[in-house]
Amino acid sequence: MRRRAQEGVIMNNRQKKNKIKLSDSDITFYVIAYFFVGTAAVICVLPFLLIVSGSFTDNGVVMREGYSLLPKVFSLDAYATIFRNPASILQAYKMTIYYTVMGTATGLFVTTLTAYVLSRKEFKYRNVVSFLLYFTTIFGGGMIPWYLLYANVLHLKGTTFVIWFPGITGTFLIILMRTFISGSVPDAITESAKIDGAGQFTVFWRIVLPVLKPGLATVGLFLALGYWNDWYRSSLFSTSSSTYELQFYLSNMLNSTTALKDLAIGTTATIADLPTQSVKMAMAVVVTGPVLLFYPFVQKYFVSGITIGAVKG
Amino acid sequence: MNEANRKPAWGGKLEQRKFGRKAGVLLTAGISAALLFLSLPFFDWIHLRNISALFGKLGISRETASTLYQSYSVFSLLSFVRNSGIGALGLYSMILLLLLAGVWYLHIVYIWRALRNRFQDSDGKGELRLYVFGKAAMLLTILLIIGSYGFVLYANRFFGMTGFGASPLLAVEFVGALAAYLVIKKLEAAERIRCHEHGLVKEFRKNWVLFLMLLPVGVFFLVNSYLPMVGIYFAFVNFNFTDGLWASPFVGLKNFEFLFQSQMGRLIRNTVLYNVVFILLGNVLQIFFAVLVSQMTLKWFKKVGQTLIFMPYFVSFVLLKVIVYSLLEYQCGAINNMIRSGGGTPIDFYNTPVYWPFLITLFHMWKSVGYGMVVYLATIMGIDGELYEAAKVDGANIFQRIRYIMLPQLKPTFVILLIYSLGGIMRGNFELFYQTVGNNGLLYEVTDILDTYVYRITIGQPLSIGLGSAAGLFQSIFGFVVVLITNWAIRRKEAEYALF
Repeated sequence: MRRRAQEGVIMNNRQKKNKIKLSDSDITFYVIAYFFVGTAAVICVLPFLLIVSGSFTDNGVVMREGYSLLPKVFSLDAYATIFRNPASILQAYKMTIYYTVMGTATGLFVTTLTAYVLSRKEFKYRNVVSFLLYFTTIFGGGMIPWYLLYANVLHLKGTTFVIWFPGITGTFLIILMRTFISGSVPDAITESAKIDGAGQFTVFWRIVLPVLKPGLATVGLFLALGYWNDWYRSSLFSTSSSTYELQFYLSNMLNSTTALKDLAIGTTATIADLPTQSVKMAMAVVVTGPVLLFYPFVQKYFVSGITIGAVKG
Repeated sequence: MNEANRKPAWGGKLEQRKFGRKAGVLLTAGISAALLFLSLPFFDWIHLRNISALFGKLGISRETASTLYQSYSVFSLLSFVRNSGIGALGLYSMILLLLLAGVWYLHIVYIWRALRNRFQDSDGKGELRLYVFGKAAMLLTILLIIGSYGFVLYANRFFGMTGFGASPLLAVEFVGALAAYLVIKKLEAAERIRCHEHGLVKEFRKNWVLFLMLLPVGVFFLVNSYLPMVGIYFAFVNFNFTDGLWASPFVGLKNFEFLFQSQMGRLIRNTVLYNVVFILLGNVLQIFFAVLVSQMTLKWFKKVGQTLIFMPYFVSFVLLKVIVYSLLEYQCGAINNMIRSGGGTPIDFYNTPVYWPFLITLFHMWKSVGYGMVVYLATIMGIDGELYEAAKVDGANIFQRIRYIMLPQLKPTFVILLIYSLGGIMRGNFELFYQTVGNNGLLYEVTDILDTYVYRITIGQPLSIGLGSAAGLFQSIFGFVVVLITNWAIRRKEAEYALF
């Protein structure tokens, strides 16, 4: 018995050795791979460090010596300035969360429903519908008619609805979801459920939806990300700062000193006293923070959820 | 046994029916050709009666009227609309013209298909498609005729006089189209029974739940995409506030002329060049990194590397603006900082256009390579692992395995991504350009693209709605044509990769 076990261990070791043994070409490849991936990763992360470090640096130092990867003189002034008078940024935060939740929830429902229909073989017009959806990505009336429709015809300018409604779904997301459904729900299962008397909606709700987790996660993340990072719709449709999106708030702050002035309200500071450079950086950190905090936990869904398919299916 | 019994009877019937079918299709194709011929002088369908009184009412001078009257030709309707300067009529005639284009297209397709049809009993589906085209051609013709009558009524009411009259040709067309429609419908019904297919009504009854499920998305795309298409009309008007959107004077292609004379060359060059570089370089880098990451053996390195490269995709373009600013600013930007500490002279990036094509490409790659890499990684993970093992056993080294096994499997993904991105070749990444460059006029020569131009003139000059719409329409048409050509080319070479 024991000998057998020993032999087994030796065998295992041998196998391991065989696996580890690398040929010259393997070594060349790994050197290239680790070098390039490592460099790219560093390039991708450095700008973030620059921003974070800038937000913690004393403003005078930034003005005199510029941005650097590590704070030369550590200071929390910038954050103090922002949170001394946080009403407007908190309002933008609140609104952005509202837009994200409303849009993502509605969007997931609409996208999945459509994708399910387009994945049904018995739906004769699935390619026609797919084409009608795809057509909108290459041909459109352009930004001006689009804007005029929402603002002048539907009279939605200034509402919160018009900020989240135009982003609830998109051709790309629908096709992504449809490809995912076709790949993960075999026709046999839905067929047999139907023979057992289940209606289309029951099949969708009880059989298809539960196995779609990675797909739902991916599409949901794309949607949520789209809402969190949007500033364009606010720039077109917001009429008062109480409906601003967070990114638009940040973008405004970068563009104008009047927005910075708001921060000085209620304090004795004048605009000249404000740590303008580092406040911009701190604001960027506050606005982007949630995305970067969630990011490591959610990014794994993308690899399993992204499968690109053709328009016809 | 059954088969043998059925054959003779079936065959005999087939002969008969085949003849009926052939006659029907040729008859309707003939009508179709006649309708097409009758609709060639489309602009004579609507007469201008009592022209001098009409022009008097409009306040058009005698000279203009006489030139118009002399050159009363195919384009008289349009030239009338253009000179009358009345937008609502312009819009109406635009819609009629679009319908006319559709009618011509469908008739030509129907005739072409009908002549090529060999009336053999194949799977039958091809014949159903033939009838779909025929029916669509006839229906659209009928719609066009009703629309033309409507135009006459509308225009007469508009001017409060009987200045317009419909040509008797319209009635002839109407009867012909209706008759042909009924014949095709009958042929189609017989064909449907033969191939066990059914039409929209029956399909709707059977799968109404599925149709209902499409309702929300239908509403969304109708509001968000299809209704704005009506606004294409703005590209043909010279907008002013007194007349409003729908009544501003119709100016034909003037807006396009102006665009092409002024900026279009630069805008098109920038948009297309950036996109070509983005697509090519982007895909190369994405595939490159996807291949490297997929083959890494150190789990943690692979994970961390992938996470970090993907990260820039998740942040907004507003943050990109902050980053660009903190890197490139003249006084305190990080790059100039490094140059100064190295003893060099700092570069004034925001005033030097030469650097920007490279910078913008760099920023775009920074933000987008991670995403594409993950798309390709997903494809690579779907490749059957046994293929690698087999190649390994056969002595293929890692480069050969990548070259001959992995890369060929990435081709479908590449082709699909390529067609998707080619459709947008005239559409720039608006957020990227707008946030990194902003309203810095010094850099426009190399950084202004169609999208930023449209945004700027819309926000800054409300009177240029016509110009902006014209630029947008140009983007749409160009993208559409490019996609059609690419898809056609791909379908000819490798049908399974085609987008539609």
